[in-house]
Amino acid sequence: MNKKTNLLSSMSKLWSHYSYIFVFLLIIIVYAFVIGNNGQSFNAGHLSTILASQYTVIVGTIALGMSLIIITGQIDLSVGSTLVITTASAIVGYNLSGGNILVMIVAALLSGFICGLINGLFVGLAKMPPFIVTLGTMLIYRSLALSFVNARVDFAEAAGISSGQFKLLNTFDSYELIRMQFGSGSLDLFGFKIPYITMLFVLLTVLFIVLTQKTKYGKSVYAVGSNEKAARLTGINVTRVKISVFVITGLLVGVAGIMQACKMSNVNPASSGQSYEMYAIASVVLGGVSMSGGRGKLLGVFFGAMSYCTVNTIIAISGLPITMQDTFQGIVLIAVIFIQTVSPIIKEKIEHYQKRKHNQLRSENND
Amino acid sequence: MNLLEMKHISKSFGGVKALQDVSLTVAKGEICALMGENGAGKSTLMNILTGVITMDTGVIVFDGKTYDDPSINQMENAGISFVHQELNVINDLMVYENIFLNREIKTKLGLLDSKKMIAETQELFASLGVDINPTEQVSNLKTSEKQLLEICRALHMDAKLLILDEPTTSLSNEEIERLFSILRRMAKQGKSFIFISHKMPEIFAIADSYTVFRNGQYVSSGTIKETTPEKMTSDMTGETFSEKEIYSSRELGDVVLNVVNLSGEGFEDINFSLRKNEILALTGLAGCGASELMQTLFGASPIEGGYIECHGKKISGDIKHFMKNKIAMLPSNRKENSVIHDLTIIENMYSAEHQISGNHQLINNNKENGRYQKQKNSLKIKAENASDSINSLSGGNQQKVFLARWLNTEADVLLFDNPTQGVDVGAKAEIYQLIMDFANDGKAIIINTLEIPEIMKVADRCIVFYDGKISRIFNHNEINEKDVMLYSTNAINAEGD
Repeated sequence: MNKKTNLLSSMSKLWSHYSYIFVFLLIIIVYAFVIGNNGQSFNAGHLSTILASQYTVIVGTIALGMSLIIITGQIDLSVGSTLVITTASAIVGYNLSGGNILVMIVAALLSGFICGLINGLFVGLAKMPPFIVTLGTMLIYRSLALSFVNARVDFAEAAGISSGQFKLLNTFDSYELIRMQFGSGSLDLFGFKIPYITMLFVLLTVLFIVLTQKTKYGKSVYAVGSNEKAARLTGINVTRVKISVFVITGLLVGVAGIMQACKMSNVNPASSGQSYEMYAIASVVLGGVSMSGGRGKLLGVFFGAMSYCTVNTIIAISGLPITMQDTFQGIVLIAVIFIQTVSPIIKEKIEHYQKRKHNQLRSENND
Repeated sequence: MNLLEMKHISKSFGGVKALQDVSLTVAKGEICALMGENGAGKSTLMNILTGVITMDTGVIVFDGKTYDDPSINQMENAGISFVHQELNVINDLMVYENIFLNREIKTKLGLLDSKKMIAETQELFASLGVDINPTEQVSNLKTSEKQLLEICRALHMDAKLLILDEPTTSLSNEEIERLFSILRRMAKQGKSFIFISHKMPEIFAIADSYTVFRNGQYVSSGTIKETTPEKMTSDMTGETFSEKEIYSSRELGDVVLNVVNLSGEGFEDINFSLRKNEILALTGLAGCGASELMQTLFGASPIEGGYIECHGKKISGDIKHFMKNKIAMLPSNRKENSVIHDLTIIENMYSAEHQISGNHQLINNNKENGRYQKQKNSLKIKAENASDSINSLSGGNQQKVFLARWLNTEADVLLFDNPTQGVDVGAKAEIYQLIMDFANDGKAIIINTLEIPEIMKVADRCIVFYDGKISRIFNHNEINEKDVMLYSTNAINAEGD
């Protein structure tokens, strides 16, 4: 009996530490079944497709920042709209500078930085609720990009604006490099293709794992989300930490904008990045980060993004009507969180029951 | 005739005897002061009286009826009402709506009959001599008026006995006087009160009779006229013997911290200096300003006047700035202000040091682990793994982790705000021994605590606060429970009245 409880407790420990891997594996198994039904067999190519998907890479990159924000106990709804701004900035910067890659990068990062800073200042300094602030900027950022596309006919051609969207011009020498190689190319590793963009995402993930686990700044992010009052009394500048996570997220959305520009070569302010804030939040949550702040790992967010993307892929190939896709996504999300929330409660109930039984036995023995 | 008789009440929590065979009587129209130090058993007894907790043995006779195991509803219906220290009025409603909360008068159509309710409220206020507009928004009322509103609500529910738990803590002297005159008038009309307060002058101004508890036991009772603040204080504190073994006098060093005319929220015009190797205790009643002063000394609350000098340099600014000037503070209320629940033991231990240890961002795990082991051994922290959750430790061990948190910053002024709050007796002694050791090692220490026996054990000097000001400074050999109580309740001034 002892062995059994040991196994149970170590399993529950594993689950609580690495639930995001189990979730991912479970979703992959479902994926394999669906593919099997379609008469194919699951192989490395499918995994590579998931890794290369814009949902994994672009949403995943945004989700890295979103997770920092959520760990501090806040939220950012503006990331989808910010993505439009940063992608547009990247494209316009590239086109107007005659195909200068550096200008493209700086334009994307700078615009992301500014968008994040605006959110951060309202939330951190003015102490406004992040939900409302970023709900507002979500509307503002997208509408600014939209009106820019529609209004600036004067230099539309030079900036690559056409038919309601921003588009990379393919007339420059560097186009081949950023679009065909970086944007769509991949490294062949013993037959397993890893897209360059994915490698950038993996690199960022590693960087953010180090940032959160191995640096003083990372610890202060967790401390603020865990107990703001106590964090302040250990000398942490809570306001600065709160602003910084928005700025970092803005920069990451800048990187995501570069990815979007290189991968898709265009951005449509009316539709691109739509609901990405929800996808990012879903990835963060599937990655096991607590919505109440203070807890979660960035490695989890990496798996969370892949899980989310796989769910999307499953829906796409399962023949589910397009109108039902969001329903299915919502159900998966709620189911995973349901398990995460309810399992500790069940565990507690079982422990309580065992303890009572134990006490009963003991008192009976005493009699 | 006695309205209330509580006889031979006992109550234990686990193995701890909270109340042992205590009795309390209150006559009709009487204001009875219930006295005792923190932990004397006052709240337990009041919770039994209002049916919140059940007594182990004993009996309650109220208004002629006998209760063995009363429920909350029973006692409320019988006419006992508890006006809590933290007010329970609803700010967003109007005065009359608060009075009629949950018992609204309705018209035949089932709509609220505000006219009737306002009129009744007016009547009630007039009969009690309360001057509040029934249609005022409660959020616009002064604290004293909210207090009165809550008392009126209780009376409107036909309460015969009102328990007032420290009703004056947030009131000005004028407001207290107004409240008291209304209480006296109500008492004349036959209402009875149990009045809980630590402030001696108030007790002697308002109460007719008193009952004193100590450590869960009945000590004395009688009429106020036949006692003195001094006698009551010695009843409350008792002849408790406190071992002084851990105290040793030290050679004191230079002045490290100089507080000059310092004012802030809750205290004003404070002057004192602190020397190397010295242990200075601050004490007084809750809300006396000592805790607020600690916050300001750490940069957690702003300076409103005067200045703080540390190592001969004026300091102001944020907490980090104070930390860089080698000041550390172990805050009160560990759970709320110290524990970072989601971090591990070692992360909790280093969270302060990380803020001031240079610009190097990467954490050196080996170095931290080594120092963790050292701290763990020297502070005798009982913990399994450094990477366990901080929540896995007992209160006393958590507190030691937070001691280490501040020792790691290499501060030389250590502020301890209620360091033994929620810590068991054994760990308490250990923590005080550690504080003594720190002083011997050359730290300058300020402890803010309500527990006078602890001050006697360690303090070289003790500053007693009353109402935001220093009321007396004692040297080590002058510190005794009775005198400290006298000065912290301002009883010394009540005698002259």
